[in-house]
Amino acid sequence: MASCIYFCDNKGKVILSRRYRDDVPPSAIEKFPSLLLEAEQESSIVPPCLTHNGVQYLFIQHNDIYVLTMSRSLSINVAQVFSFLYKLVEVLAEYVKTVEEESIRDNFVIIYELLDEMLDYGIPQITETKMLKQYITQKSYKLIKSAKKSKNVIRPPSQLTKSVSWRPEGITYKKNEAFLDVTESINMLITASGQVLRSEILGKVNVRSRLSGMPDLKLGLNDKGIFTSVESASSSEATEGKKSNIELEDLKFHQCVRLSKFENEKIITFIPPDGDFELMNYRLSTPIKPLIWCDAKIQVHSQSRIEIHCRAKAQIKKKSTANNVEILIPVPEDADSPKFRYSHGSLKYVPEKSAILWKIKTFNGGKEYSFAAQLGLPSMTDAEVPRAKRPIQVKFQIPYFTTSGIQVRYLKINEPKLQYQSYPWVRYITQSGDDYTIRTA
Amino acid sequence: MSELRLFSKCKAYEIRAELQQTNIKKHRASATKRKDALRKIIANLSMGNFGEMALLFPDVLRFWQVEDDLEVKRICHHYLVAMAPTKSGHFATALSMVLEDFNSGTEAVQILALRTLSSVPLPAYLEEASKCASAVLHQHSEPEALKKAALYALLRLAQLDSERSQLLMGIVGKVLQSAKEKPSVRAHALFVLYQEEESSSETRTMGLGRDLCLSMLELLPRLNEWDNGRVLDALTANYVPQTHDDAHFMIDKALPQLQHANTSVVLNALKLIVFLTNYVDRLSESIVKQLSSSVISLLNKPPELQFLVLRNVILLLLGREKPLLKVDVPYFFVEFNDPIYIKDTKLEILYLLAKEDNLAQIFQELKEYATDIDIQMSRKAIRAVGNLAVKLKNSVDECINLLLDLLDFEVEYIVQEIISVFKNVLRRYPEKSKLCLYKLVRFTDSVQEPESRSSMIWIITQYSSQLPNYFELFEGFSNNFLEESLEVQFTILSSTVKLFTRHPTPATEKLCINILKSSTEKLDNPDLRDRAFMYWRLLSCTQKSGGNILTMDAVREVVDGNLPLITLNSRLDPHVIEELELSIGTIVSIYLKPVNQVFRLNKPRVLPKSPALNSDKDNLEIIADDTRSHSSSFTDDSSLASRRQSSSPVKKMDDYDRPAEVVNQLKLKRKTSSATSLLSRKPSVLGRKLSMKRPFG
Repeated sequence: MASCIYFCDNKGKVILSRRYRDDVPPSAIEKFPSLLLEAEQESSIVPPCLTHNGVQYLFIQHNDIYVLTMSRSLSINVAQVFSFLYKLVEVLAEYVKTVEEESIRDNFVIIYELLDEMLDYGIPQITETKMLKQYITQKSYKLIKSAKKSKNVIRPPSQLTKSVSWRPEGITYKKNEAFLDVTESINMLITASGQVLRSEILGKVNVRSRLSGMPDLKLGLNDKGIFTSVESASSSEATEGKKSNIELEDLKFHQCVRLSKFENEKIITFIPPDGDFELMNYRLSTPIKPLIWCDAKIQVHSQSRIEIHCRAKAQIKKKSTANNVEILIPVPEDADSPKFRYSHGSLKYVPEKSAILWKIKTFNGGKEYSFAAQLGLPSMTDAEVPRAKRPIQVKFQIPYFTTSGIQVRYLKINEPKLQYQSYPWVRYITQSGDDYTIRTA
Repeated sequence: MSELRLFSKCKAYEIRAELQQTNIKKHRASATKRKDALRKIIANLSMGNFGEMALLFPDVLRFWQVEDDLEVKRICHHYLVAMAPTKSGHFATALSMVLEDFNSGTEAVQILALRTLSSVPLPAYLEEASKCASAVLHQHSEPEALKKAALYALLRLAQLDSERSQLLMGIVGKVLQSAKEKPSVRAHALFVLYQEEESSSETRTMGLGRDLCLSMLELLPRLNEWDNGRVLDALTANYVPQTHDDAHFMIDKALPQLQHANTSVVLNALKLIVFLTNYVDRLSESIVKQLSSSVISLLNKPPELQFLVLRNVILLLLGREKPLLKVDVPYFFVEFNDPIYIKDTKLEILYLLAKEDNLAQIFQELKEYATDIDIQMSRKAIRAVGNLAVKLKNSVDECINLLLDLLDFEVEYIVQEIISVFKNVLRRYPEKSKLCLYKLVRFTDSVQEPESRSSMIWIITQYSSQLPNYFELFEGFSNNFLEESLEVQFTILSSTVKLFTRHPTPATEKLCINILKSSTEKLDNPDLRDRAFMYWRLLSCTQKSGGNILTMDAVREVVDGNLPLITLNSRLDPHVIEELELSIGTIVSIYLKPVNQVFRLNKPRVLPKSPALNSDKDNLEIIADDTRSHSSSFTDDSSLASRRQSSSPVKKMDDYDRPAEVVNQLKLKRKTSSATSLLSRKPSVLGRKLSMKRPFG
C-alpha cells in the first residue's frame, strides 16, 4: 500500500521519514515542496492528492505539518491511506499531546518505533494505543502518565494472539466503572428568510471504560428511540414518506461491536477497549426546528453606518437551559465605533473576525432576547469591493437533553471470570455542530 | 529532556568517540549514553547523512552482540536496512548476527530479523529470508505476529524476484487454505496474494474458490478493522459468484460492515457490494437505502476523507441509468467553510443530481453561489446553470431567466461567464433567442475575455437578421482584429465570411476582404492563414470571372449550414464505468479516469464473466420491501427513469464511445503558467462535460 510515511513542515520539507518499499525513489519527496507551491497558486487550499511523474502524493494536514504518503500503484486504496493517516495522528497525539513540528522532532525515536509497529511493509497493522503500548519501549516526552510503564525489558506480547485485538488481558481496577456520554451535535443550514434548508443530528456515544478483566457489555437503548421501525413509521408521516427511515440504518460502530449480532438481533454487544473510545455514532436527518432561533436584520447604509437588529429565541422545553450560547454575526471588515443596546448576555465587537459576538451564559427555554447594534462605516470606500456573504454562526450546549429522544435503558456489564459489581454512568448533552449557520441576505 | 538535541548532523568520528568512550563499563549510565549515540545515528540517517554514517558499520556491529536491549536491536536492524544500497562487505558478517537474532526465540527480535532479511537485496539474505519465512509458516505453533511478518517477507521476496513468486505464493496459498490457521493470519495471507497479483503484469485474477471466499466472509467479525477492510478489498472481483444466490448471500454478509466506524472498511464494503450487484437478479430497496445512508454519514469526516467520498458519489451517480444511490440534494449544499476542492466536487454532484422535481431547490442554491464572494465558485455555478439548461429541456426557461437576472448585477466576471455560457444554451435551443438576444447584446462592450468575446461574436453573427445594428456591433470586434487573441481571431474570421454570405452588401464585402487580407498578410499564424485562404478560394469560386463554379447558395450552405444540436454526454463508456466501479476508494476514483489512461503500466480491471453476470445493468430491478410503504416511491422511481430517458435527446451509439477525457480532465493537466490567464483558461470541470459534435465556425 503506502511506500513510505513522511512528516513534513508546512513548506513541505521533511522532518522525519520512514520508508517501507523501494518503488518510490527517495528523490520523489524533494519534489513535494514545489508541487505544494504550484497547487497553492491555483487555490489557497491544496487538494489532498497530487500526482507527479507517476508517483501519487497523498497527504493530510494537521496543525503545521503535512503527513504524507506516496505510492506508485494506482490501485492504492486511498480510503485506507487517509483513514490510517488520521489514525496515526490520533495515536501520536496520545503520546506527544499536540502533534506538530517540534513535538515530532522531540520524539523521533518513539515515532520510529510506532511507525514500525503500525505498518508492516506499508500495510496498516495495529492502531489501538493500548495494544501498541506493549511494544513501545520508549517513553515519550511531554506525556507524564506513561513514564512509569516504560520498562526496557523484552516481553513477549502474547496478548495479540487472542481474538480480541483491541484489549490486553490482565487489566484491574479497584472500582469498576463505565461512563457513557451521549452527545448530539446539531447541524443546520438556514436561509436568511428563516427557511431550514438542511438539518441533521450527529449523535455519538463515547465510553470511558474502567473495567477489569475481559468484560462483555450489552447496551440497551430506549424502544421509542431510533432503533425500531415503529418510530420511523410515525416520523415518516411527517416527512412525506420519502426519506422516511433512512435514519434507521445509519449507525456506525467501533470495531469492538459485534456487527453481525447487531444486524440480526439489533443488540449492541461488545468487549470494550480500555479507556476512552467512541462506541458508536449515528445520524438522523429528520427535519427539526432550530433549537436556538436567531433572526438578524442587517441594514447597510453604505458609506455611513450599518444597523443590526437581532432577536434570538430558545425553542426548547421550558425546563431546559441552553448554556454558553454564542451568536457570531458578521459585519463588514472596515466597520468601526460600535454602539450596542442589549438586555441580556454580553455583546462585543471582534474586529479580528469582523463580527459581533453575542454571548449568553444561560438561555432558558422559551425566552426571547434581542439586541440592537450600530457600527460606523468609512465614508470612503474602494469602488467595487464585493461584500463577502458570510453566515451567522451559532454555538450552544444543552445538557440533560437529546434532540432525537435517544435514551440508554441499560448497560449490562458481565465479566465471566471476575463477576464484580460495576457502575455504569450516563450523561446526555446536545450541542451545536460545526455547521449551525444562518445565511445572511 | 527531549530528543531534539540528538537532531543535529554529526561526523562519524564524533559518534564513534561517544560509542567507544562508554564501551568498557556496562553499568547503567553508560548504557543510556551509548543508546543516545546510536539514536544519533538514526537521526542522521533520517536527515540523509548516509555517507558519514556508513563509516560506522563496524562499530554498530560490535554493539549488536553485546547488547540484548530491544531498542538497540531495533536501531541496529534499522541501520542495516538503511545501509543496504551500499552493499558493503560487512553484510556478510552481519548476516550471522541477524540469523542469531532470528533463532533467539524472542518474538519481537525474530520479527525484526525477518524484516531485515527480506529488506536487504543481497542474494545471501534473500535466500535465508525465504528459508526462515517458510519455516515459520510451516510451524503451526508460531505466534501470530511472527507469521504475519513471514507473510510480508515472502511478499517482499516475490516482488524483488518475479521468477520465484509462483513458488513463494504457493506457500502463502497453503496458509490461506488451512482452516486451522488463525483468522487474522489467513486474512493477511489473502491480502498478500492479492497484492502480488496486483503487481504482476499478467491479467489474471486469483480465482478464489467459493468455499474459501465464503469462509473468509465468515471470518470478518473476528478481524481487526484494517484486516477487515483488506479482506473486503481482496475479495472484490477475485471470487466471481456463479449463481444469483451466491451473490445475494455475499451481499448479506458484507452489509453489516457498512456500519463500521472506519471509513476504509465502509468504502471497501461498498465496493464489494457494488461489484456483487452485477451478479444479482434483483436488488432490495432497503439495500439501496443502506448504501446511500452509509455514504451520507461519511460526509461528516475530515475534509480529505470527505473529498474522497464525494468523488465516489460522483462515480456512483455517473455509473448507471438507475443509480445505486438515492440521496437528498441538501447534503451536497456548499458550506461556507468547505475547502475549495470540496465545494467544487459538491457543485458537480448537484449538477448530476438535478432533475425536474428538485430543480427549484438547486437553482436557488446555484443562484446563491453565483453571487458568492469567491470568484471561482461563482463562475462555476454559472457554468453549471448553463449546463443544466442544456441537460434538462423542460427547465430551459427558468435557466435563461436566472442567467438574465444575474446579468443585471453587472459584475464583470459574472457577465463574462454568462455570455460564454449562453452560446451553448442558444445552440441547443435556437428558438429561445427572442427571450434574451437584446439583453445580451447590451453587454457587447463589457465582454473582455477571449471566450466571452468569441461567444458574443458568434451570437451577433448567428442572429444578425434579428439585429438591425448588427454591423456596428460586429465592427466593434473586427476593428480590433489584429490585437485579439487567436481564439477570437478565428471566430471573427469565420463570422465575417458568414455575415457576408448572409448579407452580401458592399459594407460586409469590404469588411470580409479586409479581414481576409489581414489574416493572410499581417498575421503569421499558419492555421489562421490557411483557413483565410480556404475561405478566400471558396468565395472566389462564386465570382463571375472565376467561371462561376459555385452559386452563392452553395457557399452559404458550406459556410453557414445548419449546426447540429449539441447534446450532453453525461454517461460514460460502460467498460469505463465497470472499471471505475471496481476501483471505489482508490486513486482512480479521485481522478475518475480508468487506470490505463493515466498510467499504461497499470492493468485494467474488468468484470469477470459468470453465468450470473447481468448483461444489462440498467435494468436491474430494485424491489421494494414488502413491510414498509415504499411502493409509492418505487413507482415514482421507475417513472422518473423513463422520463429521464425521454428527456435526453436521441442517443446515438457514438455518444457512448467518447473517451473519458471529455468528462473529467486530470486535475494536473489544467495547469497554466501565467497568473493573469489563470482564471480564464481554467474551464470548469462541468464545462468540459459539454462535448460538441463539431467546433463552431
